[in-house]
Amino acid sequence: MLSHNGPIRHVGKRALASIGIDIGGTFTDVVAIDDDGTQRIAKLPSTRADPSAAVRTALARLLPQWGIDADRVTCFAHGTTVATNAVLERKGARLGLLATAGFEDVLEIGRQNRRQIYELLLKPETPAFLAPGARRRGVVEAVGPDGSVLTPLDPDSLGAAVDALVAAGVDAIAICFLYAFANPVHERAAADFIRARHPHLTVSLSSEVDPAFREYERTVVTAFDAYVKAGLDRYLGAMERDLAAAGVGAPLQIMQSRGGVCGARVARQRPIRLFLSGPAAGVVGARAAGRSAGHEDLITVDIGGTSCDIALIARGAPVIRPEGLLDGFRIRVPMVDVNSIGAGGGSIAWIDAGGGLRVGPQSAGAEPGPACYGRGGEEATVTDASIVLGYLDPQYFAGGTLRLDPDLAARAIERRVARPLGLSLREAALGIHRVLNAQMAEGIRLMSISRGMDPRRFSLMPFGGGGALHATALARELGMTTVVVPRHPGVLCAAGLLSAEIEHEAAAGFLARLDAADPEQILAACARLAAECASRMRDEGVAGDAAATTCYADVCYVGQAHYLEVPLAVHAPQDMLATLYDDFCARYDQVHGHHTRAPARFVNLRVVQRAPNRARQPAAAPRPGAAGANPAPRRARGILLAGVAEPMRAVVVDRDGLAPGDTLAGPAIVEQSDTTTLIEPGWSGRVAPDLSLILTRQP
Amino acid sequence: MNDRADAALASVDPVTLEVVRNKLEGIAGEMQSTLLHSAFSPIVKEGMDCSAALFTADGQTIAQATAIPIHLATMIPALAAVLAKYPVRAMAEGDVYILNDPYAGGTHLPDITLFIPVFADGAVVGFSVTTVHHQDMGGMAPGSIPTNATEIYQEGLRIPPLKYMDAGRVNETLHEMLRLNIRLSDTFLGDLNAQLSACKVGARRLVELCRTYGAGLVTRIFALLLDRSEKMTRAALRGLPEGTYRYVDWLDNDGVDLERRVRIEVAATVRDGTIHFDLTGSSPQVRGPINCVPSGAQAAAYYAVRALTDALIPTNGGCFRPVTLTLPEGSIVNPQAPAAVNARTATIKRICGAMIGAFADAVPARVPAASAGLSVMLAFGGRHADGRPFILSELVCGGTGASAHADGVDCLQTDGSNSMNQPIEALCLDAPIRIRRFGLHPDSGGAGRQRGGLGVVREYEFLADDIRLTFRGERHFTAARGSAGGADGAMSVAVIHRADGRVEPISKCVTTVARGDRLVLQTAGGAGYGPARERARDALAADVANGKVSGAAAQDDYGSSHGGKP
Repeated sequence: MLSHNGPIRHVGKRALASIGIDIGGTFTDVVAIDDDGTQRIAKLPSTRADPSAAVRTALARLLPQWGIDADRVTCFAHGTTVATNAVLERKGARLGLLATAGFEDVLEIGRQNRRQIYELLLKPETPAFLAPGARRRGVVEAVGPDGSVLTPLDPDSLGAAVDALVAAGVDAIAICFLYAFANPVHERAAADFIRARHPHLTVSLSSEVDPAFREYERTVVTAFDAYVKAGLDRYLGAMERDLAAAGVGAPLQIMQSRGGVCGARVARQRPIRLFLSGPAAGVVGARAAGRSAGHEDLITVDIGGTSCDIALIARGAPVIRPEGLLDGFRIRVPMVDVNSIGAGGGSIAWIDAGGGLRVGPQSAGAEPGPACYGRGGEEATVTDASIVLGYLDPQYFAGGTLRLDPDLAARAIERRVARPLGLSLREAALGIHRVLNAQMAEGIRLMSISRGMDPRRFSLMPFGGGGALHATALARELGMTTVVVPRHPGVLCAAGLLSAEIEHEAAAGFLARLDAADPEQILAACARLAAECASRMRDEGVAGDAAATTCYADVCYVGQAHYLEVPLAVHAPQDMLATLYDDFCARYDQVHGHHTRAPARFVNLRVVQRAPNRARQPAAAPRPGAAGANPAPRRARGILLAGVAEPMRAVVVDRDGLAPGDTLAGPAIVEQSDTTTLIEPGWSGRVAPDLSLILTRQP
Repeated sequence: MNDRADAALASVDPVTLEVVRNKLEGIAGEMQSTLLHSAFSPIVKEGMDCSAALFTADGQTIAQATAIPIHLATMIPALAAVLAKYPVRAMAEGDVYILNDPYAGGTHLPDITLFIPVFADGAVVGFSVTTVHHQDMGGMAPGSIPTNATEIYQEGLRIPPLKYMDAGRVNETLHEMLRLNIRLSDTFLGDLNAQLSACKVGARRLVELCRTYGAGLVTRIFALLLDRSEKMTRAALRGLPEGTYRYVDWLDNDGVDLERRVRIEVAATVRDGTIHFDLTGSSPQVRGPINCVPSGAQAAAYYAVRALTDALIPTNGGCFRPVTLTLPEGSIVNPQAPAAVNARTATIKRICGAMIGAFADAVPARVPAASAGLSVMLAFGGRHADGRPFILSELVCGGTGASAHADGVDCLQTDGSNSMNQPIEALCLDAPIRIRRFGLHPDSGGAGRQRGGLGVVREYEFLADDIRLTFRGERHFTAARGSAGGADGAMSVAVIHRADGRVEPISKCVTTVARGDRLVLQTAGGAGYGPARERARDALAADVANGKVSGAAAQDDYGSSHGGKP
């Protein structure tokens, strides 16, 4: 267990505290902030078999160590991969699916395109494993595109279908009828029937989970929802009991994939909203860190062992996308737009059949890990190169919890890269870094350009264990001039939990052309969605007037399927449609570089309500006594850099000792328990008032 | 690799080589992304029917971004045609070249290719090139893919290699001719502009690259990267057993002469790290529009080589050096002008399937049994009850072939194409058509130790009179062939049930349907792999339980006595 800072100093006063716990694949991160803004962090190994064990450990050991009384915890926010893991491990419910008769196979057929275009040995692209044919049944009913009932629900076919699913041993049922988003009457009747006869079954309705058009996408989301619902409910229930047992009275809050938190009571009703909440928390944490350092336009890069997650924050708001990938399956859930490329510290350098140097996409992972871990890994990885180049201190990796073996690192690079290519050890190690940086820079460029954004207008914020080591090199490649290294880049996800707002979102399909839409109908639909959000807000104790409401419309040109989310000016209904059309054209222009005045149409309406959470925020200024009192001891070591034949002396500084106003000139290395920052020559660093490290490129 | 290349390799450090390679792939990706985002027509935006590439000054692909394999390397003959007419020495900065003529290196008329020569130190270092399938190129039918065309003149406007811009000035004559001859010319010019922007992005970044590394070094790196991919491809081809492998498959007909099957014959010879595809024996060119100019068979060959070798080989012109083709003149794979060519996609799919299928016995672990290999094209046009016109089209596919390792996949695009289907809820929203049924087609997957993927059943009911229906099916008369003792997949069946009780089986047709008529389409299944009697009993039981195999078929095709449960 790695933990930061001693107990809270003000003895005798029982401090209030907010706690964020993020469970990731390898580490469980804990952040606590007390009411004077003091922030404490810790990293515990994750416990995959029983993820909440790490949470119990944190409660039992960290709180006393930090001097926090459980009953003074006023906010407890949690990021969990339990819903995602249930899918990855195929440990969800035994699911049945009810569909409109004649359309039972929609889930299995999908959209008929494939992701690997040159692969001959093809795999299914749809999650038919959720409910294979034997557990899918049709019900005689039909609703038209306008919501009119064409064929009333046939009770006999419903009874027979449900009986068949029950006989097949299902413990959850997803219902997805055609056009149910336009009229949910048949889905609701089917759900009532099931609940009355089989109260133990979990039921998910497509008209509640994702009331939007396109039947395959809606079916997939609804099926995943039903698949993970019961397991998530058990997990959250157990955690609530753990919290109660530890004396924590604060309600359990969960991070959603759009980047807002919600109460466990709401979360368990809408489990689909929790997929991929981990990356969302990181981006929300980055936004808060950027804001406190005065940077609202950020490209974030989270570099871990196997991958590099890239996201954009424009004018203080993370970019949201309408769907994402879960275990290779496209799911239509709005989420923070995080793109992953297979490049990280564990990426393996290798020589291809043409005699060329390649880096990745294979990774040494955590086991056996890079050669320098000494766990039997023989491949040369990026981390091994970082050791050889002197960027990482083998004695102080992950705060000294892991001793790295520089000889093993050198040997692996010598054997796997240097010798086959006829390079020196130094050239080989530098080469691995240059190739990896080129890959990541192209990934970042593509991600930002395809969203209509020029990376040069943004600041780069590295986080995760590996980000800060590559940041100045990436910024240089991309023509960016500023890098913001947050104070605790290794626990940004957990910090993000505490900076997130409470958020509820409700959306519904609304199929009408802009030039033929009825503003009254739009306002009525938005009011219904707002009432839905408000009821969820009330559920977790947020008063109606505490939440800010924003309405959006998803709009596309007639004939196109790509839609854009555009704010809807509901307060000025007379101009609403004209304004919406202009705003849509402007947004289209921003993303695509041009627009036309062709007719457009609605796809969905969406209402988002946000309310500030109860969590404390970290103090802008460090605790008195720390700032400037202990000037950071400066050491030096030789590091190897591209374009410089001899090792250069780099100043090495302990991050914990840096105070606002301190400056550094590259080449320099800043070490802290959760990351190492490399400041290349040509860059200078300055410590901001909030202790962020701002790196700027000298002109 | 020759001595010259070895010497050059010694002079470029391997790290810079790999860094520049990553940047080149990034540039191609950025061009493609620009194209997708600034194009307007759905065929580019939704269908991703476009691609972008960088070429060397002598016309070899150095990096390419494609969303659909059918575009792979199709720009090579097009650039060769431009270079044959306009020598590199005579090119000037600001020149933009254009071409769509299938008989001068193009594909079919809607595909327009645009080329920008990229200058560094006063000389051409390469080309930035994009191809887009435009929504219309004029001719007898909207969309410029008339199924009943018998001459290219009916298919639209042919553009030989020409300058679209001359040293920065637009060729007004050409521009005005295009504007006048193409339907929805605003959309067309918008998409052409998107193409131009994407080419400019590629050119700008290639110039930056030359500024950073020096044009001389970048040119040397091009040569090395080509040699390296060639070397890797040759090494991978040496991993295939040497010999000549044959495959024959059929297209139903050309859409004009409905009773005549169209033969595709491939003899693939692997020798000493090279591969040769001889298509001698394929049908003579046909009257209908499924003739396929050489760029089509080339794209199929390059797809086959990419699929049969190592996926980690960087794709560039070097991969194609060990590949040669024989395409007999006057045949379906090398038609002579003015044969109609617009519907060549079906032919390319069949050529891909035959080229891969030829290796079924040579590398049985890598090559699956035949896939349905079809994209049934349906187009509907008419008026809603209130008089508004509608037009819509969709592509429906069949099952994939089983392999030594796994069952085929149900209803999935294979080989050269990769289009999505139309959601039922979208289709019924936009047209007076109701889909009554959309499901897997039971028993359509070829029986085998591994079962072929299933085709689908899709039933349309028409809700208005005078709807024009264009239907272009495949696999109605020949099945996807099984491997290693596996059975063939089921064939496609399409029937129009008229409201008055008449029943009309169709395979390719243009007809009119009316209120109350129904069209029932069953697409073909993929073929099976290995003898059906060796299928694991639990897998067969699951197929029966899941409705993929009927009880009767379990007995008849698999010899099971346990399969009778509903």
